[in-house]
Amino acid sequence: MLRLVLHRIAATIPVLLLVTAGIFSLLHLTPGDPIDVMMAESVDATVKENLRKQLGLDQPIAVQYLTWMGRLVRGDLGRSIRNGEPVIENVGRRIRPSLQLALFAMTISVTVAIPIGIISALRHNRTADRVGTTFALFGICMPNFLLALLLIFLFGVTLRWLPISGYMDPLEEGWDGVRSLVLPAVTLGLALAAVITRTLRSSLLEALAEDYVRTARAKGLSEWLVIRGHVLKNALIPVVTVLGLQLGTLIGGAVITEYVFALPGVGRLVVDAVFARDYPLVQGVVLLIAVGFILSNLLVDILYGFIDPRIRVR
Amino acid sequence: MESRHVSRRTFLMTSATVAGASVFPMQARATLGQETPRKGGTLRVGFYIEAATMDPHLSGSKIDRQVYHNVYEPLVTLDVKLGIKPGLAESWQQPDPKSYVFKLRRGVKFHDGTDFNAEAAKFNFVRMKTEAKSVRKGELANVDTVDVVDSHTIKLNLKKPDAALLATLTDRAGMMISPKVVQERGSELERNAKGAGTGPFEFVEWVRDDHLLIKRNEQYWNRQGGPYLDRIRFRPIPDDTVKLQSLQAGEIDVIDYVQPRDVAPARADKRLVVVDVPSLAAFAYQLNHTRPPFNVKALRQAVAYALDVEQIAKGVWLNVGVPSNGPIPPTSWAYDRTISPIKRDLAKAKAKLAEGGKPSGFTFTLTTTNIPINVQEVEVMQAQLAEAGITAKIKLNDSATQLAEGNSKNFEMTAYQWSGRPDPDGNIYQFFKTTPGTSLNWSGISNSQLDALLDKTREVSPQAERKKLYSEVVRLLQDELPMIYTVHPIEPKAFSPRVQAYEPIPDGMMRFKDVWLRS
Repeated sequence: MLRLVLHRIAATIPVLLLVTAGIFSLLHLTPGDPIDVMMAESVDATVKENLRKQLGLDQPIAVQYLTWMGRLVRGDLGRSIRNGEPVIENVGRRIRPSLQLALFAMTISVTVAIPIGIISALRHNRTADRVGTTFALFGICMPNFLLALLLIFLFGVTLRWLPISGYMDPLEEGWDGVRSLVLPAVTLGLALAAVITRTLRSSLLEALAEDYVRTARAKGLSEWLVIRGHVLKNALIPVVTVLGLQLGTLIGGAVITEYVFALPGVGRLVVDAVFARDYPLVQGVVLLIAVGFILSNLLVDILYGFIDPRIRVR
Repeated sequence: MESRHVSRRTFLMTSATVAGASVFPMQARATLGQETPRKGGTLRVGFYIEAATMDPHLSGSKIDRQVYHNVYEPLVTLDVKLGIKPGLAESWQQPDPKSYVFKLRRGVKFHDGTDFNAEAAKFNFVRMKTEAKSVRKGELANVDTVDVVDSHTIKLNLKKPDAALLATLTDRAGMMISPKVVQERGSELERNAKGAGTGPFEFVEWVRDDHLLIKRNEQYWNRQGGPYLDRIRFRPIPDDTVKLQSLQAGEIDVIDYVQPRDVAPARADKRLVVVDVPSLAAFAYQLNHTRPPFNVKALRQAVAYALDVEQIAKGVWLNVGVPSNGPIPPTSWAYDRTISPIKRDLAKAKAKLAEGGKPSGFTFTLTTTNIPINVQEVEVMQAQLAEAGITAKIKLNDSATQLAEGNSKNFEMTAYQWSGRPDPDGNIYQFFKTTPGTSLNWSGISNSQLDALLDKTREVSPQAERKKLYSEVVRLLQDELPMIYTVHPIEPKAFSPRVQAYEPIPDGMMRFKDVWLRS
């Protein structure tokens, strides 16, 4: 297991190099200039020139990349051009709401999807299954922003049960913090629940047709024991894969949900930084998101080992 | 029961309507009886984005100013009709066209206890002119030196006459920061403005991406009226629909802007009060004079005659804006009602096409930023131009690309939005004066007659004379067409009915000194 982990970590280095070089060149190829954005209303060319020099933006791209990599090796992600604060502080402020939202959404989706998935598979092609698959279809088809606005209208404006927008830290504000995350977490969680329901249903159906299930039933095990002890474990591998991939997306890619609910998350940070052409901030955040993806995939690989010991042995 | 008394608020709302876009009546609601302002409460304000910096001398963002106008004070300030009234300077004189003498108010202290006096004012001007990151250098380019005449009098010596300077000093270029805070805090001031201003409210904290909190200044020098509110909490809510819903649900008390599409439903909602604030802003299009097709005047005119700005104001802006005749908004003293917006005339457009050597029309690229209302506007324009045989290919940019293309004159016709300045000079000079290199003169117009007129507008002081000159400028611009103006937007703000005594000043800034909350 340790070898697997070390091997996977070593393999991330070239990936990260590629990611940084890719994002660096893409950003610099995009038209637009951070100083223009910062000083849109100023006509003073010398001020702009001085700032450009001060920030090293007058250097060739290759030099800028090497300087940035040099700092990165020393653990310095640089400073945001826009607010002058270290990139790591900008991300530090944003990562907490993003992580909380991702975990909350994931909990909701798993709690909803696993029972629906199981019932759908067991009641294959019957009413319960049709209801389950309709739910999944709805969850997949429903655009994020529309669902968010509908939830806000119903629970925020009409019933006034939950706050409409803004973020409070559940670890500091307790219940109020949890309430502030309910609507965004449901928005994100519902789409994910739909994907998990579909995945779990089809992998359960596949597992239910296996020989060992017939053997287990022949042994006289109750249906629940067959499902819990034999079928579910084998059917979970694709679900874990989906969850692992989605965790990264939920942390860095929940841009629309963060916008609608005015949540100060990582997704919004990176999109705002791209619009402002805040190069160091975009590079830093994308790098950290890439690390997040790699780590969540690593976690998935480790989980495989627990779910299916054959993978560990290999 | 509705009272026959007219509250201060209703009065102000009505007077602003009269002063500004009287075609769009404001929702004037009489309040119950004459109420005396009540001290206390927290006003919760929703903005579309977060502030960028707390240092007015380094700020280039409109949203920052919304906070500044409560924490900092400029030397002079604006009234509802855009007239200049005393601020930190209680009076001023212009002994000759190249100097201004300001008598500063006595007994004013910054929030950190430092005295506001002539030395402090000089310190601020020197900082704005010399600080490396200062965005105010351009605005104060004409200020040569600042003399301290006595403890509460300063004299600004100008390089050349600048009739627009007073209006410039009503905003960030006139805002005074405690010299002690600047020296001790350095760049940290951008994030923490504790003690820095003299305004009716003091900075408390700014939790990035979450909220910015200010509280009442108990030592405020002006004893008339407010500040009444205990605190003001500003929150960024980027989605316009959600921002409005937050107001409807009572989570916030004020929003800075209501989208045209939301104005009618917001007005119909009894939980809200919508106040129209006719703005100084303009929506326009720059036409590139330095390359084909718009280096040919007749083709620029053909486009102008093919467009129907009234239809744009009605169909796209839903009348939350008025058709524009040029860079001066109807809220300005310099607005000339006798000059009408360019009227659509397809026969003339076709004649101009023939005159420009393109009798069967031509094709060009029409660029704008990818924001719903901007896209709708260019789509309507595309259809209108097509009727004259002109084909516009729409290109959508993000705002950074838009700026980069404009600054490098890499466009044919491109959208330009300007938040507007109280003096017409700020909406005209830098856009149309011949300037080499990068400037706001994206169109690249260089016209000696216009240059001479523009210089004259700065040299002449009496407002009536300046108004005449500006009318000449607007007529010349309608002929030369460096820019085609479509709409001067109205910027409606919406409030909870608890919010009282808001004064809508056309610069769109929300000054909360006299605002109070009904319990």
